[in-house]
Amino acid sequence: MTSWGYSISRPRSIDIDRNDMSYSKELLREYPELQTCIACGNCTAACTAANFTSFSLRKVHTLVRRGEYQGMAEELEKCMLCGKCRLACPRGINTRQIVLTIKKHLANRSR
Amino acid sequence: MEHFRLFVLPFYAGAIFLLITLLFKYIYWFVGLSREQKRLFWRSLPTRATWKSILEIINESLLHRKIWRTNPLLGYMHTSFALGWFLLITVGWIETYVYFKGEGVPLYVDIFFSYYVHPIFERAFNFSLIKDALLLLILIGVGLALFKRIRSRVMGMKRTTKHMLGDRIALTALWLIFPARLLAESLTSAEVWRFGGYVWTLSENTQLIPPGIGCGSFLTGSLGQWLANFLPARIIEAQHIELGAWWIYSIALGVFFIALPFSRYMHIFTEMPLIFLRNAGLRASEKETTYDRFQIDACSRCGICIDPCQLQSGADIQGVQAVYFLRDRRYGRLTDAVADNCLMCGRCQQACPVGIEQNTLRLNSRAKRAYPDAPNRYAYIQGKDPSTGEGKVGYFAGCMTLLTPRILLAMEQIFAAAHETVWWADKNGGVCCGRPLKLAGEVDAARKMMNFNKELFQKHGITTLVTSCPICLKVFKEDYQLEGIEVLHHSEYIQRLLAEGRLHLHAGSETFTYHDPCELGRGGGIYDAPREVIAALGILKEPAETREHALCCGSSIANTAIDDEGQRRISGQVATALAATGATSIVTACPLCKKGIAREATIPVYDLAEIVARAI
Amino acid sequence: MTGRVIIIGGGVAGMQTAITLDELGFKPVLIEKEESLGGKLCRWDRLFPTMTPAHEVLDDLRNRLGSTSTEVHTATTVSGIEEEGRGVTLTDGRHLEAEAVVVASGFDIFPAERKEEYGYGLYDNVYTTVDVERMFREGGVRMANGQTPKTVAFLHCVGSRDEKVNQRHCSRVCCITGVKQAIEVKQQIPDAEIFSFYMDMRMFGPGYEELYRQAQQQYNIHFIRGRISEASPTIDHRIHIKAEDTLIGRPLRMSVDMLILAVGMQAGASNEAFSQNRHIELYPSGFLRPLNQFAGNVRSSSPRLFYAGTVTAPKNIGESINEGIAAAYQVARTLNSKRP
Repeated sequence: MTSWGYSISRPRSIDIDRNDMSYSKELLREYPELQTCIACGNCTAACTAANFTSFSLRKVHTLVRRGEYQGMAEELEKCMLCGKCRLACPRGINTRQIVLTIKKHLANRSR
Repeated sequence: MEHFRLFVLPFYAGAIFLLITLLFKYIYWFVGLSREQKRLFWRSLPTRATWKSILEIINESLLHRKIWRTNPLLGYMHTSFALGWFLLITVGWIETYVYFKGEGVPLYVDIFFSYYVHPIFERAFNFSLIKDALLLLILIGVGLALFKRIRSRVMGMKRTTKHMLGDRIALTALWLIFPARLLAESLTSAEVWRFGGYVWTLSENTQLIPPGIGCGSFLTGSLGQWLANFLPARIIEAQHIELGAWWIYSIALGVFFIALPFSRYMHIFTEMPLIFLRNAGLRASEKETTYDRFQIDACSRCGICIDPCQLQSGADIQGVQAVYFLRDRRYGRLTDAVADNCLMCGRCQQACPVGIEQNTLRLNSRAKRAYPDAPNRYAYIQGKDPSTGEGKVGYFAGCMTLLTPRILLAMEQIFAAAHETVWWADKNGGVCCGRPLKLAGEVDAARKMMNFNKELFQKHGITTLVTSCPICLKVFKEDYQLEGIEVLHHSEYIQRLLAEGRLHLHAGSETFTYHDPCELGRGGGIYDAPREVIAALGILKEPAETREHALCCGSSIANTAIDDEGQRRISGQVATALAATGATSIVTACPLCKKGIAREATIPVYDLAEIVARAI
Repeated sequence: MTGRVIIIGGGVAGMQTAITLDELGFKPVLIEKEESLGGKLCRWDRLFPTMTPAHEVLDDLRNRLGSTSTEVHTATTVSGIEEEGRGVTLTDGRHLEAEAVVVASGFDIFPAERKEEYGYGLYDNVYTTVDVERMFREGGVRMANGQTPKTVAFLHCVGSRDEKVNQRHCSRVCCITGVKQAIEVKQQIPDAEIFSFYMDMRMFGPGYEELYRQAQQQYNIHFIRGRISEASPTIDHRIHIKAEDTLIGRPLRMSVDMLILAVGMQAGASNEAFSQNRHIELYPSGFLRPLNQFAGNVRSSSPRLFYAGTVTAPKNIGESINEGIAAAYQVARTLNSKRP
């Protein structure tokens, strides 16, 4: 396994009081449909990248929604953007756009 | 300078400004071209491409033949402005030349000829008649343009472009130019009618015109005569109205010229260098170049691209169509919301009378806006080989096909029936072809996918690559550079098997309708192969809009912005159009189209491979 | 006054409506499109959560119906309902008159073929919960080659809560059906490993949660929280499935001998035609919308048009039977008030 120098499971609890929820709020304002996610994991199940990695879009966007941004942009780099998850999503969430928008935002944020 | 009149100044100011601006822009853009692009251009001079360009300029910039095909009234409107004005200027030049052979007269005499010269004794050639006829031609065009604002449907357009301030200024000036000219020329004629005048005013050898004759022809002459009788003599004699009209004409010209480079009328001139560059072989690419500027500024914002766009007709999404995308990009106010909201189905490109590469421009805008690629991205695929089997023929299912296993199974049956040994690139999940990344603008990341798959193809020594996904097909053909490997869509492969007698099918009497996938049809030019295969199985009923004009299923991965409901509505639009053929089932040749249409269809939807496998 | 009341649909709700109407002194006319009465229940083996044989419920209803004066028309299909509930038109063109109409035409089973990615009808050993009931009735769960499966996966929510097949609603009863069948498979094949892929377990009825607990503790059913995205055949004719174990947050792949799809309930195909009647409204899901969801569950906006059972929403057997009784009483109230 390649070491990316970060882990998506940070060794602490998710502290919503302390987390910066501003982007989470912005994301959900822009894509309220993301809030309809029933966490079925169909996106991850269908994921082309998940054949090679442990990439879970569901987990990443859930963490972002909880204000946990660290390492998320790098994690989303694994996505091949093939769109299979969008075709599979039972809630009709525009998953590809979610990937792109989170990635773009987090990249700007770290600059 | 005794004949100089102040009213010519606005025209001069405008014309000089326009000339400088145009030269600056075109030179700046040309200099910005890559060495290869410049080389292509220089090499094209003078070749057949040059003549082709000249012919094309006559056909499209003057005659607007493509717009005539869209709608004759719309065509007339565009031709009247372009050809009418062009001829009016040309006839003016000839007239000036005839009257002032060899005598160097200032430009303003040429432009405001009717003010200075009142030719009435033309024997050999009646310039006034021609000019009046041309003016009438244009004025009818202006009338139609006004009418189009109110009732665009008559002109074959359900929706027209919403314009911005610069356009409105230029548009108002343009519409004013010709009525102002009519009025100015008529008032001059009225004065000559009432009080007489000179044939021309520059030469020593002037001929006197007695009152009661006037000048001009059936339009300006007649109107002049009427004005001479209608207006009080005092007013005509004072010349205020006449000069005022010439002022308005000159100001309208000046304003139009100054507004032109900032407005949609930039297309008038820009289409010409574009045609030369395009015929020299220049094309937009996945990264922005200054050649794009020629294309973008050549957009006249005629709005012909709006009606074919299913985002507006199917999903009620406005303001993102090609015309608005090009506008926003031109003025540097492009947003992700506009850049991303496009199915890249190519229907607008098909309709565009200027032939602007909408899809590629949209794509390189996205590439520019994309998140930069990390160098170690996709390190996880290095050294992986998810393929199975061995054979000279490779089959690439594509990501989506794994969600439509009927296609996969049908292909297995077809290969087996044709006794083909097949190398399966991604039956158990492979690496994406890279086109979805590319369409989202992540062109560098896409290259990594492409390199991976290309190496895999080469490693397994395949000579033919078959795919049932038109998205994969397009990228294999256009970006992979697979030397020694023939890339075939499964429709072409099946057609070939049938032609070679390697596959025998039981023909039936079932009626099918066929949906052209965008990436396969408009994107890849493959229309006949699937139709021939269907014809071998049953009866094909074409939908109303088909082949180059086929509808998009709405599921296109090129649109990252559209929501599920929008996709569903467009799918419904297509499903309805296909069901209207009365066919018993729908056939398509793309897993995404199949899924999208099946969601809304009331009759079964099959991939081409499925109906073939069924008939083996 | 003829007292004739037409009941469209001879499933449990329709049969119960007829029985009660007869008790109340009316003349029920029961119209069933199939050859025999009983509806979907005919295809069931045992019922959750008590494992009561389905035929016990059916036999009881049939016997009670048999002792009434109900006029039964089987193999008869209704094409339209008269505007004010004064009769129905049949597909053969005949017209039947009545004083009221009760629509108890039920639901359709979601056609699992529409979720192509699960390979139903495409691969051996992909079945639906309806197929499994048939297998139980025919002697037990067997693979296509006749052997008993050693690993079985159930997948919940097939054709429910899925925008991609335009089925947004929850079908309610599939959760408990999946749990019941998992137990039954385990009872039949004690050494089988059973995996149940779910999103939410909606144990809404009495004894359901207890059955779920029993499945976990007593029958060692493995519940994995995640939806299967696709199934594909392996070389040795097993089924390879992909999911995410969402509680862990990692992709999960496994091979099973048999995949059973817990298919949902979708709106009856005839609802669309019935809704030509201006008193009959459809929900976006395609089920019929009753007057209100509280005191008007079996009523429409017309005083002579009533509903019973799953024609208005997914329901279990008990609820459907209760609605049959409720509809009959509502009919009686209307018609009695109009008597001299």
